Amino acid sequence: MDRAIHRTIIIKNHLLQPNSDQILTTNACLSYSPPELNEVYDFDLKEMRKLLDGHNLQEQDWLFNLMVQSKLFNPRKRGEKVYVAPDYNQTMEQQREMTMKRISYLLERGVFEGWLTAKGAEAELRKLALLEVTGIFDHSLAIKIGVHFFLWGGAIQFFGTQRHHEKWLRDTENYVVLGCFAMTELGHGSNVRGIETVTTYDANTGEFIINTPCESAQKYWIGGAANHATHTIVFSQLEINGKNQGVHAFICQIRDAAGNICPNIRIADCGHKIGLNGVDNGRIWFDNVRIPRENLLNSVADVSPDGQYLSSIKDPDQRFAAFMAPLTSGRVIIAGSSVYKAKIGLAIAIRYSLSRRAFSITPNGPEVLLLDYPSHQRRLLPLLAKSYAASCAANYLKMMYVNRTPQSNKTIHVVSSAFKAILTWHNMRTLQECREACGGQGLKTENRVGHLKGEFDVQLTFEGDNNVLMQQVSKALLAEYLAAQKRNRPLQGLGLEHMNKPCPVIPSQLTSSILRTTQFQMDAFCLRERDLLSRFVMKVSQHQAEGQSKDYALMLSYQLAEDLGRAFSDRAMLQTFIDTEATISSGSLKNVLGLLRSLYALTCLEEDAAFLRYGYLSTDNASAVRNEVQKLCSEIRPHALALVSSFGIPDAFLGPIAFDWIDANAWSSVQ
Amino acid sequence: MASAQSQEDQVLEEETSFVRILTLNRPRQLNALSAQMISRLLELFQRYETDSNVKLLILKGKGRAFCAGGDVAAVVRGINEGDWISGAKFFSKEFILNYLMATYTKPQVSILNGIVMGGGAGVSIHGRFRVATENSVFAMPETALGLFPDIGASYFLSRLPGFFGEYVGLTGARLDGAEMRACGLATHFVPSSRLALLEEALYKVNSSDPAVISAVIDKFSLEPYLKDHSAYHWMDVIDKCFSRRTVEEILSALESESTNRADAWISDAIQSLKKASPTSLKISLRSIREGRLQGVGQCLIREYRMVCHVMMGEVSKDFFEGCRAILLDKDKNPKWKPSKLELVNDNMVDQYFSKINDDRWEDIKLPARSNLPATAIAKL
Repeated sequence: MDRAIHRTIIIKNHLLQPNSDQILTTNACLSYSPPELNEVYDFDLKEMRKLLDGHNLQEQDWLFNLMVQSKLFNPRKRGEKVYVAPDYNQTMEQQREMTMKRISYLLERGVFEGWLTAKGAEAELRKLALLEVTGIFDHSLAIKIGVHFFLWGGAIQFFGTQRHHEKWLRDTENYVVLGCFAMTELGHGSNVRGIETVTTYDANTGEFIINTPCESAQKYWIGGAANHATHTIVFSQLEINGKNQGVHAFICQIRDAAGNICPNIRIADCGHKIGLNGVDNGRIWFDNVRIPRENLLNSVADVSPDGQYLSSIKDPDQRFAAFMAPLTSGRVIIAGSSVYKAKIGLAIAIRYSLSRRAFSITPNGPEVLLLDYPSHQRRLLPLLAKSYAASCAANYLKMMYVNRTPQSNKTIHVVSSAFKAILTWHNMRTLQECREACGGQGLKTENRVGHLKGEFDVQLTFEGDNNVLMQQVSKALLAEYLAAQKRNRPLQGLGLEHMNKPCPVIPSQLTSSILRTTQFQMDAFCLRERDLLSRFVMKVSQHQAEGQSKDYALMLSYQLAEDLGRAFSDRAMLQTFIDTEATISSGSLKNVLGLLRSLYALTCLEEDAAFLRYGYLSTDNASAVRNEVQKLCSEIRPHALALVSSFGIPDAFLGPIAFDWIDANAWSSVQ
Repeated sequence: MASAQSQEDQVLEEETSFVRILTLNRPRQLNALSAQMISRLLELFQRYETDSNVKLLILKGKGRAFCAGGDVAAVVRGINEGDWISGAKFFSKEFILNYLMATYTKPQVSILNGIVMGGGAGVSIHGRFRVATENSVFAMPETALGLFPDIGASYFLSRLPGFFGEYVGLTGARLDGAEMRACGLATHFVPSSRLALLEEALYKVNSSDPAVISAVIDKFSLEPYLKDHSAYHWMDVIDKCFSRRTVEEILSALESESTNRADAWISDAIQSLKKASPTSLKISLRSIREGRLQGVGQCLIREYRMVCHVMMGEVSKDFFEGCRAILLDKDKNPKWKPSKLELVNDNMVDQYFSKINDDRWEDIKLPARSNLPATAIAKL
């Protein structure tokens, strides 16, 4: 009835209003109200950002400054604010040229100083921090830089020896040479050991001869190869005196300084992609290309001038493992950068949901703010909580990586595989949810969220397909378990020590306060991990007992392998969250972190069917968890703005819908 | 003495039907902002905002200055006599005034026909329209005083083209009207001979619409020529040098440029940087860099923390030394401590950006500004 009266009044006003000007002024339109006006900050944002970013904040801000102040970063005015982001409406070729121009600009300002020539954990952290910022602007920029420094430069650092370091590192840092990294082939991706490129040695001239013997051996997806790179690392089988010594890496020039392709090299473009078009991915064929003997990266194995194969590691399996170990940097970087992308999505979607309203629930009442809908909270806030957990995980991984020792290599391999997979999946899921939460506005490229999906999808695949990585995690856990069993020793390392203790018991009655304790959360995660690991061990040995090979047995046990991989990753991530929380003394910051940690942990319990499937939680437990998730969402709601503001992503790197979207879309802003 | 002059006299108020004209009236002190003037301006701005008869504000200065800054000499005297809290109160009021102007819903036209420095920039640049003339002299000279560009300067300097803001903020370089117009500190350039006519035209304005007011000022403005030796011609060099990450790197970039070229502005810039307080330079650079990524409110909150640290003098007492050497003893030979850039480490700089451990202290409380139009928030 109220509605009817309301409508009548509106229609009457329309009819009886004599002056049309006045209608415009008296009918109150929606106005944008900045979320800052209505939300309170309960903790120090700067402290929170320090906790999340972990290191080199000033350097990061400096790089943000460099980008914001240059026309090369495509500043666009929307309403009263300026945003920077690449013009993705440019052609692929234009985008690639812009990427190179941006790199030159950053090079000239000293951004890359010390990236390959400085040593030590501090220099590595600085490099990682700056790379993350380039990725906040544009994935292509970060990847193009990453390929040059971490893949090409990293290969020389780690696979090469002094003669390579002296010759190449400084020139790489100054972009005198532009490097790429030719590992993947059309026929082989994750299975590097299966690549088909072949290299032989000619003792008469002291040269290696690299050859692409068939079409499936063409190098594929080689970032930088299509347009810009002058040199590449080539991964190839090495055949000495007719004997295959396995995969080795060589330096090979593919273009001269003027950009002409070298003789016996053929290069083609990979073409337009669903994202990352600012990177010139190419394909390379080698037609018996001759390179000097010194171009073999010989940290693990060498060939003498007269053609003898020399290696201190006799077992080819071990040799391959030693060879590939340094490549973990790629996964560390991807894990870290994916968290920032989830943060961009959440900062935009949550800011929008704090300024956009839809439907009123009382007659004539104001429409409800999107984030005041419990359903909207449930969609976004658990992802926010998990992004906080992911930040802790990424920082832990980074610190472990920069302080690595030969003893920690295995742990880094397993943890980086696990976190790379979990964090990139989380990123894609978050971007999708944020896109939908922004409604139609999420579809506009300038609002970033939707577009980032295409840009970052590749993270699930490169540097190891996520599913393959998760299987590797489970396989590594299996090996640990069997080794401990065989030696009759307790488990040690990878955080598996909890398995030596008695099995945790989940209380039958879960109260709110129990659910929020780290004790309960950790117990539930550990229970799942230990049970899945023993089930996995059992399943594999069962298949083996039936006469299957170990590899085949693993293949058949994929369901448990996947569950276990997830259980390990979640538990490891929760541990990093708890450890981070412990560094904070009591106060409002710690309280909020506690809420986030509980929301992260309980959402995992709610979403992973394994908890119910294997009975770690009763159905009563599961409904208690579900209720608590909703409660936690409503308790985190008042902190939502502060939590996304703490991400430290400058306004210019978010999209217009994160701010005054009415002003940004006003007629006066139409150019 | 300031006390001889009543509060009302220090800010003259005139009105036409819809326009209020405020004149800073301490010509002998180059209209330096006293605590009284700030209070008076605050009071008037607050009153005009709710008065629907007021549609436009004009702010100008009596004599050859628009405003030469905050009356820091008085602040320093106050602190020397007792307690930095009184100084904190001064800055807190001044910053609130800056914030009010930056978020003001009605247009403010500042006539910058003379010296505009420090606090003078704070009461003009945040407003919608800034009219420069051939008499304008703009500078942020704080680093030479042992202070840093405050009054929201980390907000507006960082929004100048490229890294010009770092150049202006760190060296204290003087800009003329043409340079102010070129970099955007001024929105218009009007020859001083036309100011009387401009004001007369503005008195008749019956609108708060920026487009209408801009059109009025446009009628009297011209595009001035930059002098041949203006540093603005060398924006590429300024960009290249002042974008470096640290003060040390900026200085060495300038020095290596100066070996290739003999432009006066470079050697002036190098000299200024070498004469300025090393601590001031470092906190100023950090402040501008942070300011570039923040809103004007956040900038003022940060600057307030910084200025309180400066007055407490726990890391460096350069502010007092600077005021002694430049404003009081006038020997122009301050003895900075720490005396060199390399003696000011990151931890010392960090301290200026932290909260202050004193029960009597709290962060500045900027007034809530509800339902601001977007145009009121950012004007540069």
